[in-house]
Amino acid sequence: MARHNLEKQLSILDFALSSLWRHRMKSLSVLLVFAAVIFLLASFQMVTQALSDKAKQVLAHTPEITLQKMSAGRQESIPLAYGEQLAGIFGIRRVVPRIWGYYFDEVRLANYTVMGLEVNEMPEGGRLGATLAKGVMPGPADEAQGRVVVGQSIKKTMDLAGRTTFSLFRPDLSLKPFEISGEFSPDTDILTNDLIVMNVADARDLFGIPAGLVTDLCVYVANPKEIETIAKKISEALPSVRVLTRSQIQKTYQVVFGWRSGFGSICLLAALAAFVILAWDKASGLSPEERREIAILKVLGWETSDILAVRSRESVIVSGLACIVGMTAAYIHVVYFDAALFRPVLMGWSVLRPDLHLLPRLAAGDILLILAFTVIPYLAATVIPAWRSATVPADSALGG
Amino acid sequence: MQQIVPGAVLLFSAPWPMTCYRIETMGKYVIIECKELTKAYPVEATMVHAVNTVNLPVNKGDFLVILGHSGSGKTTLLSLIGGLTSPDSGQVFIDGVENWRQSDQALSTMRNSKIGFIFQFASLIPTLSVMENILLPLSFCQNPAGSRVLALDILAQVGLADKANAFPSQLSGGQQRRVAIARSFINCPDIILADEPTGDLDEETEKDILALFRRYNEQGTTFVVVTHNSDLAATQKGARVFSMRQAVLTPQAG
Ligand SMILES: Nc1ncnc2c1ncn2[C@@H]1O[C@H](COP(=O)(O)OP(=O)(O)O)[C@@H](O)[C@H]1O
Ligand SMILES: [Mg+2]
Repeated sequence: MARHNLEKQLSILDFALSSLWRHRMKSLSVLLVFAAVIFLLASFQMVTQALSDKAKQVLAHTPEITLQKMSAGRQESIPLAYGEQLAGIFGIRRVVPRIWGYYFDEVRLANYTVMGLEVNEMPEGGRLGATLAKGVMPGPADEAQGRVVVGQSIKKTMDLAGRTTFSLFRPDLSLKPFEISGEFSPDTDILTNDLIVMNVADARDLFGIPAGLVTDLCVYVANPKEIETIAKKISEALPSVRVLTRSQIQKTYQVVFGWRSGFGSICLLAALAAFVILAWDKASGLSPEERREIAILKVLGWETSDILAVRSRESVIVSGLACIVGMTAAYIHVVYFDAALFRPVLMGWSVLRPDLHLLPRLAAGDILLILAFTVIPYLAATVIPAWRSATVPADSALGG
Repeated sequence: MQQIVPGAVLLFSAPWPMTCYRIETMGKYVIIECKELTKAYPVEATMVHAVNTVNLPVNKGDFLVILGHSGSGKTTLLSLIGGLTSPDSGQVFIDGVENWRQSDQALSTMRNSKIGFIFQFASLIPTLSVMENILLPLSFCQNPAGSRVLALDILAQVGLADKANAFPSQLSGGQQRRVAIARSFINCPDIILADEPTGDLDEETEKDILALFRRYNEQGTTFVVVTHNSDLAATQKGARVFSMRQAVLTPQAG
């Protein structure tokens, strides 16, 4: 009995396959449309997922509170002395100065992000060492030493051919020599790809920033729960200073990102809806030929369930193939083509660097969701009409 | 009651070529019984009878010929007997079991194992080859290799042995009809319900097909053949001839 069942399943499968083959043009076009929809959904989901992962990494590294001096609505250098005025606020663990800016390399036509840090002063500074593929972070900040750590794309752009030294122009066009003392590991690309890290004194020298001034001040607090209170106290103590908390930065980012992915989702939902309508239309309007085929099978003694089994096998094969093709294409699209299709929608803000390389991640839940939105409507759209057609008296389709 | 040895089973013990063999039961019994069978279709607000209170017992091994003009209800009667159409009132019994008292599954099994249909109009699936079309009723049987041999044998009997791999579109109307006839025999049915089976055949082929019917009939297969060709009745010795007029079935004398 079990054997007979197995044989029956096999012959149903065989019939389904041959029926797909018999209607190969139709099957192929449905398969292509279906795969395209899954491709769009899956690559969008992968990109969104990869970007929000990256975003989390970025945000995890932002200081708890950042102080920037504002003048005429623009950011200006902030006096180091401001840090001393915060001494009285309870709960501040440390205030660390940063000098950062963008450097346009006119020779290589590339934009670098230059970051001057006091690594030894930062509470988590020691952990930065872990982000290096080789070498060490630049040493103490009290004097210029010209040692830098660079990101992967800098290394590529500069094309140093084994050398470890290069020079950048100061504002007065004199050359400042640097020596590469380490490089960031590729895992941290989102943060470090175009980054040159040096100590504060070197950055001051490079950008020609007067002593006593820095780009911003990073405030680290003892208890993260007090961030909001401390931020408020700082605003009161330094009215001309913009106080950015990590959660504010996060919110700004999420609004932008949420809007963009929301926009994308709507476009995709529209595509999906079109697909479902197409599938429904194609299937519910069973052609007279298909209706006749079902009637003939019924007359020849096929049970309604056999006909449905063939139909659903066909649909499962088509959707299975579409899933494999669509998902694979999506993965290739995201990994090897860096989601070229979605770039215009999702990228282009300074938070997300344009040459960012994405590591896609597709959770089982996402896959299930995508399947639920594509395969189930498709199965319903193909099997239900066949069922309706198989349960009506067979004679009506045969006439006479 | 009766015992059937399906041809496919015998294939491996009997020499080739072979047809469906059956072990006959003794004596006659009623294999089809229509009781007060009635079916009407709505035509412009009124109901028009297609089949009106038909009472018809058919014995096993009978050869029935039903004559009638088109529109008299012949096709509808065959559909009712084969369980393709449900009657408005009355019953059809096949082997003592009432058609519409059964589940869809049981009805399908009954059609599959006991009845061979020959439709009035082309009934081949255009995208399947002749062989595949013939094998459709056996799609879920347990002996695919044996079925092919059987199918080739039946194809030879209808004179189309060389067309097994052709597609319906490559055949003439008469050849398609013969394929449909071959298919109706593939499951060794007890009953053949044939709707104008020789409609588009030339005289020569018609004779061959009728001879084939007779051969099967002599082996015990019951035939209900619908036609508007009154000559057909004359060629089948011992046929019970009925005429159908405006949904009413009446036996013809002689
Ligand atoms: N499915 C149907 N729907 C409506 N009317 C039908 C249907 N099938 C048959 N009829 C009507 O029933 C009558 C008998 O038809 P049919 O059984 O096909 O006759 P025959 O086969 O003798 O030509 C005709 O008037 C036909 O129009
Ligand atoms: Mg008819």
